[in-house]
Amino acid sequence: MPAAISVKNLRKAFDGGELYDNLSFEAERSAITAIFGPNGSGKSTILNILSGIVPHDGGSYEMPGLERFGLGYIFQNYRESLLPWRTNFENVALPLEIRKIPKREIRARIGKLECLLGMSFEWNRYPYELSGGQQQMLVFMRALVTEPKMLLIDEPFSALDYENNLRLRECLQAYHAAYGATVLMVTHNIEEAVHLADRILIFSKKPSAVSESMENMLPYPRSRNSLPTDGFHKAKDEALLAFQKAANL
Amino acid sequence: MNKRLLIGPAALFLVWAITAKLHLIDPFFLPDPVSIIGKLFGLLGHDGIVPDLLSTLWRVAVSFIAAITIGLPAGLVLGTSERLYRSVEFLIDFFRSTPATAMFPLFLLVFGVTDASKIAVAAFSSALIIVFNTAYGVMHAKKSRILAARIMGAKRHQIFRWILFWESLPQTFVGLRSAASLSLVVIIVTEMFIGTASGLGRKIIDFQITYEINAMYATILMAGIVGYAMNLAFVLAERRFLHWSGK
Repeated sequence: MPAAISVKNLRKAFDGGELYDNLSFEAERSAITAIFGPNGSGKSTILNILSGIVPHDGGSYEMPGLERFGLGYIFQNYRESLLPWRTNFENVALPLEIRKIPKREIRARIGKLECLLGMSFEWNRYPYELSGGQQQMLVFMRALVTEPKMLLIDEPFSALDYENNLRLRECLQAYHAAYGATVLMVTHNIEEAVHLADRILIFSKKPSAVSESMENMLPYPRSRNSLPTDGFHKAKDEALLAFQKAANL
Repeated sequence: MNKRLLIGPAALFLVWAITAKLHLIDPFFLPDPVSIIGKLFGLLGHDGIVPDLLSTLWRVAVSFIAAITIGLPAGLVLGTSERLYRSVEFLIDFFRSTPATAMFPLFLLVFGVTDASKIAVAAFSSALIIVFNTAYGVMHAKKSRILAARIMGAKRHQIFRWILFWESLPQTFVGLRSAASLSLVVIIVTEMFIGTASGLGRKIIDFQITYEINAMYATILMAGIVGYAMNLAFVLAERRFLHWSGK
């Protein structure tokens, strides 16, 4: 499989010093790749660079075949990325309105996504009337409604309770299975990474590099019943060992 | 309605009534409140202050609309470019800090002793408040929302229309509310001192000169009611249209 994201010798420095001096990795097309690493290792920054909102200082990255509007980004801070003056429906419809898609088609697309993910909202109410978990699901729907071929996700489950966390993991898998999207997700939760990803990239401390690239062969779909299995525990232990090595613990 | 809201006015009324009853202050300067309220009802009848009230309201409305017409677009434009705002920030702050009343003579020179000069000076000072608040609202829009829209592929004008404009609204409303109050203040003061045939300000000064103290108090009370009603209208509009503010 050719790489959908290819990062080569990337350099980025902030005021606090060098974040990456030579970061290279690839993410396979139609696979879920998780980035796991210590705090401050530039996990979120790499997503910001790839999405074009933060410039890089050197090196290069490529996302071959990615068309305009082909990228979806799910922010960690869902509360701050929803628009409270728009209803739940209008929030999910926003990326389609930006593309000037007719109202009827917007309705149809949102209906289709509701079926796929098995989630529904009181569409005429406002995001601030929803719980944190529901708000994050709304952000999820807003990112998926455009049917992106590439999905960048920044710690999407960090603010959720365990039940909502598991539910969203299943939604992400359902979308991935239906659209074959390339997913690059950042997480600080090893269980999430092992549960969802085909491949786990472990970042080292600053200046960060990929210290380990771990393939995760567990079969999909991985439901919540996959969590207590021996295969899952083994993969998680391997990833933890690799992380401890990377973080010099 | 919250019953506690009535405690303050009731207490003021009581203290005022007792003070007047016991003649703690010369009743010529402080008549009892009941007679003033009675006088106000009288003044709202035939040959009263209704035409003055309407003149004042008309001047306030025109100056406020002029201030919005100039201030709102200017604030939105200045807010989108921090560099542009910084280059005129001193001017805005300077004129915002200059008492509007100090500029009467200048406006009199330009517009003559007409309604236009009163309206212009009120519109000028109100517009500055609207510019400042609107620009501030745009500049302090949540970056995460703008970034989210940018990643979705929104163009500059779409970000402006769908994000920045809305983000600025709560702060813009703060500006509109202060600007409406200031318009009323400036109009009433200019009516007192710049030749006018009608207006609440004119009436207050006339009643004071002729020692019709009850009528003077009643007209002041009327001006207060107008100011309060304007403020209340903004609070209600804010609750209705900005229900999402701060959420």
